[in-house]
Amino acid sequence: MEPILKTENLWKIYRAGRLDVAALRGVNVDVYPGEFVSVMGPSGCGKSTLLHVIGGLSQASRGRVLLDGNDLAALGDAGRTLLRRHKVGFVFQRFNLLPTLNAKGNIALAQHIHGDGFDPHRFDVVTRMLGLTDRLDHRPSELSGGEQQRVAIARAIINEPKIVLADEPTGNLDTKNSENVLGLLRQLNKDLGQTIVMITHNPEAAAYGNRVLHMRDGLVVDGASAN
Amino acid sequence: MIRHMILRNVMYRPVRTCITIIAVAIEVTLVLIVVGLTSGMLSDTAKRIEGIGADIMVQPPSASIFMAFSGAPMPIEIGQKLAQIKNVRAVAPVLLQFNSTNGLDIIYGIDPESFREVSGGFVFHDGRDLQNANDILVDDWYAKGRKVKVGETLHVLGHDFNVAGIVEHGKGARLFVLMSTLQELSGARDKASVFFIRCDHPEQTAKVIGAISQLLPHYEVRPLRDYLSLMTSSNLPGLQTFIHSMIMLAAGIGFLVILLSMYTTIIERTREIGVLKSLGASRGYIVRVILSETIALCLAGILLGVAMSYTVRWLFLTAFPTLTIVVAPSWLLRAAAIAIIGGLVGASYPAWIASRKDPVEALAYE
Repeated sequence: MEPILKTENLWKIYRAGRLDVAALRGVNVDVYPGEFVSVMGPSGCGKSTLLHVIGGLSQASRGRVLLDGNDLAALGDAGRTLLRRHKVGFVFQRFNLLPTLNAKGNIALAQHIHGDGFDPHRFDVVTRMLGLTDRLDHRPSELSGGEQQRVAIARAIINEPKIVLADEPTGNLDTKNSENVLGLLRQLNKDLGQTIVMITHNPEAAAYGNRVLHMRDGLVVDGASAN
Repeated sequence: MIRHMILRNVMYRPVRTCITIIAVAIEVTLVLIVVGLTSGMLSDTAKRIEGIGADIMVQPPSASIFMAFSGAPMPIEIGQKLAQIKNVRAVAPVLLQFNSTNGLDIIYGIDPESFREVSGGFVFHDGRDLQNANDILVDDWYAKGRKVKVGETLHVLGHDFNVAGIVEHGKGARLFVLMSTLQELSGARDKASVFFIRCDHPEQTAKVIGAISQLLPHYEVRPLRDYLSLMTSSNLPGLQTFIHSMIMLAAGIGFLVILLSMYTTIIERTREIGVLKSLGASRGYIVRVILSETIALCLAGILLGVAMSYTVRWLFLTAFPTLTIVVAPSWLLRAAAIAIIGGLVGASYPAWIASRKDPVEALAYE
């Protein structure tokens, strides 16, 4: 089986004043369809940078990122935008919902940007699965942290992306809501076969994945491939 | 979806939205009132000049069609020569004087008999014709606006006049005094500013104009039939510049307010822009959201501006009944276009910045 995501000697170098800081130092990772991969590592090891690069939010300095057969390193801004739109769903630590829109509007916005218009059936399936049906008319400020993150997950999966990239999705949640959100991610992975890459500090959260990838100093030191 | 998002966005910051809308409304009001006031005054003046009923108007060389701009450089004897031209039925010399006491008015110094022959005479609402040196006639609009009655004293040109009569409006000016009196007050003895001429038949106008041009080469000789069409701001270069300056000023207000408002908006919504980008929104999509929001604000401002314009017009006309303010439909459209174009230009820089934001930096924005 071909990996849905493959990185080859991936480098990301930031310019900090006169210094070049390498956040990724030749990362090689394979993620296969239907996998739930947890990425662990200390702060500053390059986890979030890896997520941004493989999600097409920022460009690699060197190396290749193959996402569903597309080389992100070879794509320009417009190409990476299209790839994000059609193949990637993001879940962030701080939920990042638009405060002016209610839950329904936040989810429907992703469908609108995707370009296929509002799909009531898909919307219904996703919101029902995430237990949001009676919270759809509420704005983010009227929702609990757990509910906001469930809305963010619904927004991420509404367009059936090839991969969901979750950056510390439980970082702002209490234990109960964290378990709830992690359970939902595992359910999405098992029931829908959704490929997920999740960054976390928490070993308990990482255990929800079926593979844990360890990073240190911009390198993957363990679990780089399912093989 | 964009419409829904825009509506939510503009309602999210009501104070900023209101201020932006009011600024656009002021821009629209400024344009409509300045243009309405100038074109209203011009058309009102033109209609009143036409209302005299003369066929021809003679002015000194290089005189402005806006007669109030002209002095009194013509010897009054010219009138006698004009009267001798074939097919001329009557000649009425008129001396013009600007009065700035209690507002701006043009006063006609007339010879009642010749003015009557040319114009067919005043229609009196009250009182009688000019007889004495201190007599003044006012038209009905002036009388109504200033609450002037026959027999009262009216202080104009630093002189106390006795209101002898109130006449129907539309005979050139709103105030009329004896020419000799006005000549005395303005130090223009035996001078006239303009001669109004009535031909035996209106169709003889061109022929008479030809004869006058031969008699008085270089003098401005105009058929009054064309006067209304000539009285536009484009024929008055200074006025045109003034109008353009005011429009630029108004558009500048709209441009700056929209620029500031949208710039603040995108700074405040930096993370939201990052979220849109993470969802796959293109640069064009983000520009479209911001420009659509700008258009929505401008449209609301235009509606408020039109309402404000009619309110300001009503207030002006209540305070100064002799004013004419024309809010023309064509200028409603132009003012709207100016507001929208100014707004879009003002929003284009913030939109450009927003569209080029780095998504990772935007998502990390606190």
